[in-house]
Amino acid sequence: MPKITIDGKTIDLPAGATILQAAQALGIYIPRYCYHPALSVSGTCRMCAVEVDKAPKLQIACATEIADGMIARTDTAAVKKARKDVLEFLLANHPVDCPICDQAGECSLQDYYMDYGLHKSRVAPEDKIQRSKHRAAGRYLVLDNERCILCTRCVRFCDEVTKTNELTVSGRSDASFIDIREGKSLDNDYSLNIAELCPVGAFTSRDFRFKQRVWFLKRIKSVCTGCAAGCNIEVHYNENTVYRLMPSPNPETNTWLCDRGRMTYKALQAGDRLRKAFVKKGSMEIEPAIRHAAHLLDEAARKTGPESVVVLGSPYLSIEDNLALAELAATSLKTSNLCLDFPREQGVKDGILINKDDAPDANGLKLLKARYAGLDQGALIELINSGRIKLIVAEARALSSLKEKLRELSNIETVILAVTKSDLDFESACVLPYAANFETEGHFVNYKGLLQKTTPSVAAPDGVKPLWTVLSKLSSCTGAPIRLEDAAELRERISEFIK
Amino acid sequence: MERLKPFIALLDLDLLLFMAVSAVKVGFFLGAVMGFTAFLTWVERKLSSLMQDRVGPNRASIFGFTLLGLFHPIADGIKLMMKEDFVPARASKVLFTLAPVITLVPVLAAFAVIPFGNYIEILGYRVDLVIARLPLGLLYVLAVSGFAIYGTFLAGWASKSNFALLGALRGAAQMISYEVTLGLTLVGLMMVYGTADLQQIVLAQGRLLFGVIPAWGVIYQFPAFLLFLTAAMAENKRTPFDVVEGESEIIGYFMEYSSMRFAIFMFAEFIEIILVAMLAVTLFLGGWQIPYLGEAGFLFPCGRSIAIHPYAVVLAQMAAFAGKTAFMCWALMTLRWTVPRFRFDQVMKLAWQGILPLSLLNILVTGLVLLLAGKL
Amino acid sequence: MIEIKKVNNRPLNLLERIYVWEIFKGFLVTARHFFVNLFCPGKIITIQYPEITRPLEHAAKRRTRHRLKMRANGTPKCVACFLCATACPAFCIHIEAGEFTSSQVEKYPAVFDVDLSRCVMCGMCVEACPEDAIAMDTEVIPGGVLKREDMYLTRNKLLQNMPGDPSIKGAANRLA
Repeated sequence: MPKITIDGKTIDLPAGATILQAAQALGIYIPRYCYHPALSVSGTCRMCAVEVDKAPKLQIACATEIADGMIARTDTAAVKKARKDVLEFLLANHPVDCPICDQAGECSLQDYYMDYGLHKSRVAPEDKIQRSKHRAAGRYLVLDNERCILCTRCVRFCDEVTKTNELTVSGRSDASFIDIREGKSLDNDYSLNIAELCPVGAFTSRDFRFKQRVWFLKRIKSVCTGCAAGCNIEVHYNENTVYRLMPSPNPETNTWLCDRGRMTYKALQAGDRLRKAFVKKGSMEIEPAIRHAAHLLDEAARKTGPESVVVLGSPYLSIEDNLALAELAATSLKTSNLCLDFPREQGVKDGILINKDDAPDANGLKLLKARYAGLDQGALIELINSGRIKLIVAEARALSSLKEKLRELSNIETVILAVTKSDLDFESACVLPYAANFETEGHFVNYKGLLQKTTPSVAAPDGVKPLWTVLSKLSSCTGAPIRLEDAAELRERISEFIK
Repeated sequence: MERLKPFIALLDLDLLLFMAVSAVKVGFFLGAVMGFTAFLTWVERKLSSLMQDRVGPNRASIFGFTLLGLFHPIADGIKLMMKEDFVPARASKVLFTLAPVITLVPVLAAFAVIPFGNYIEILGYRVDLVIARLPLGLLYVLAVSGFAIYGTFLAGWASKSNFALLGALRGAAQMISYEVTLGLTLVGLMMVYGTADLQQIVLAQGRLLFGVIPAWGVIYQFPAFLLFLTAAMAENKRTPFDVVEGESEIIGYFMEYSSMRFAIFMFAEFIEIILVAMLAVTLFLGGWQIPYLGEAGFLFPCGRSIAIHPYAVVLAQMAAFAGKTAFMCWALMTLRWTVPRFRFDQVMKLAWQGILPLSLLNILVTGLVLLLAGKL
Repeated sequence: MIEIKKVNNRPLNLLERIYVWEIFKGFLVTARHFFVNLFCPGKIITIQYPEITRPLEHAAKRRTRHRLKMRANGTPKCVACFLCATACPAFCIHIEAGEFTSSQVEKYPAVFDVDLSRCVMCGMCVEACPEDAIAMDTEVIPGGVLKREDMYLTRNKLLQNMPGDPSIKGAANRLA
């Protein structure tokens, strides 16, 4: 294996590795714009130039493969001067409109200027070349050509990752600029990754635009629950508001994050977020609504026996919440009509990330099914068709397959648990809100069987509690509590499933 | 009516007249004192501001006229009346209500024996310009002012508040200590003038020493004057002896009081200033006497004399008394804004190790002098 | 001017320990102040503050109520970059950004509130502003209002400007 010495430190790496990777392995940081570990090397920015022994000129670290006995230096005067000069070229026509640029605070131009540049501009503001600003680029992006440094990360992303080829570099020489290809529009399923890839403020997110400055944001790692992929994310939030979701690269799950996944936080703030319970379409405080739901359960059990009540698990809910539903059926309602069987087609849909199954926890549900058994989907439909069922307790999205059936059979009442109103599309006897995945901890098993948990970042609206708490209260009101009153009890009960 | 006749017979004309005249005197004198008290609250604020290079109260206005802030006492009064009259839940209600009254009444009663003039003859009827001429007037003043301590202590006790009680304890200790001294400082004076009748003392101060100097108490008993002022200020519980209140530390015995109940405490304090001033004037500064002014006019030591109508003389003497009182009030207030507050241990030390031995010494020296002068 | 005053800490002599003479001396001092101020009220250095104000000197003028400057075309110079809110030690600035689609400078403050009841008048917002858009030179000293809302400066109140030449300092304003 070739042995390379950088700044006096030596390392062995397999052939084919570059100086930049070697430096990274040694903990030496080399500034870069165009290099991205998940994209091909283009070597356009020249920022990573280092001094290599016996080479007549500086070499770019991202594109120079290591050779045995190679000695490179990143801290010589020549390297420093090169970085400074490259920065001056990159900033020559830069508008320096950081105050209105969303990238400010996480911008490589700003960071490197403070680290390596600190030069006075030789180009007067009025002499700078003006290009198009805030040009719409697809549903989610805004393109500002003035700020662009032509690193082509965005072009390579569209060519190599999504393979949709929407972007190109138009023009030539110092008049070249990033452009959208004729007849294309930048709206692939991963377009927001471009805003994140862009080391400067050329591509910015239309969704996050002007909402908040990045230095105010707090970050916390969590898991996306948009589909069965179980991508790791970083939730960026401030003062109880989530502002954006970013991927948190994990070799087992994801490098990128799809646009749909990035928008899942919208459900928290949407106008149709449930903050109160609904009873026959009338708004009601949550506590009395829970008592009302308990009353409905009691009535159904008293009139037609406990077997007339069905409880549905949901592939959209965490293991905790499904456990509470299963316990509700077994302990509290004492009905054997519990359905934890939701067969879903899984697998990566587009070869990148997005899963065919849009439910995050179908595999978690299988763990519970192993323990609680219950009806399978066919038996459930049969049971409903038989007309013996009077009441269904379920999470809103889990009911979607039964929707048509329930519209036909108007004599079945429902107690529905939901986060947003848009999940509810038919009349229900009682709707109880619960805390979304950004507001509470929950365990999910992705399509590969990887167990992960979400981390709460913001607080739920006043009075809105996690689903398992809601069900625990509901069961207490029916007189047979499932005893899931605090997080410690919950942890103990789910420990057998999350080994 | 027939049955009432024996009783009416008992009330002879002299008695009726005496009662009527006394009522007029009480009305006149106490009215003047009360009015002056309200005025004094303004004076205190304005005086302290001037001393501290400030402007002082000047905002309360009626139709845009502020009259140098003279409406502030009225505004204060209205404000205090509008305030919530609050009694703490665990307070002893009866004593809590009684305490301000017990504070105010003895102070007012003490004015009964203070002569504010000599006498006038109206239609042959001699009216002494003192509400009640008691042979032991001085002792009466001491006795009555001793009652004030009940008000202070009951207020602190009845409030059921730690700070109020602390203030009351300090107040009781301080007032008892200085009460002793207050009496002893005056003994010398009684020895010199040979009487405890305040009118007699004032009359005695009309004489001349060596034919030139007015024989005022302050000449005979200068150390006693200083001791008396010190003890009287301590009795009054004002700076530098205001550890009882100590606004910056314990608020004091009236901490739980609000509204007019609190106002009565404040009012009593200001009336007490006037009382102390009047006593000092009466005992040491010649009372209503104007030097060289006799009943019929001025009689200067050089032999010249100016005849003045007796009524004019009496009026001038009453004005002199008022003037001297005003001056003493001013001096007491200026002193209040000059000297910082003592610590409580210093207050006690001053009483028992300073003023009390000195007043005893004063009695001893006075006695010796009188013995040697053969007047005893 | 700060000077060091040497305090004479010698023990008190007998006359001073008797205290009476010293009190009398103090009495004379206060009495002198009283009479001087009584007869020459004009010499009292206290001024009737809200009615009479002293002219602010030098830098004090730059620590008065805030204003937002305007461009020549009447739009606020502020581009809602949040740097003042970041610099503010009292957290009294609340900004919400809006978007102009027509202008070259696409960002503007849709909401710009300064809570004067929290402001400490430190001037850090002025220091931080990259656009020279906020200034504290109105020479209005805030305070003494009857309603809480009056302590709350909204964008429109801040934009009621003093006459002055619109400056083009600041990067983003080059475009306007």
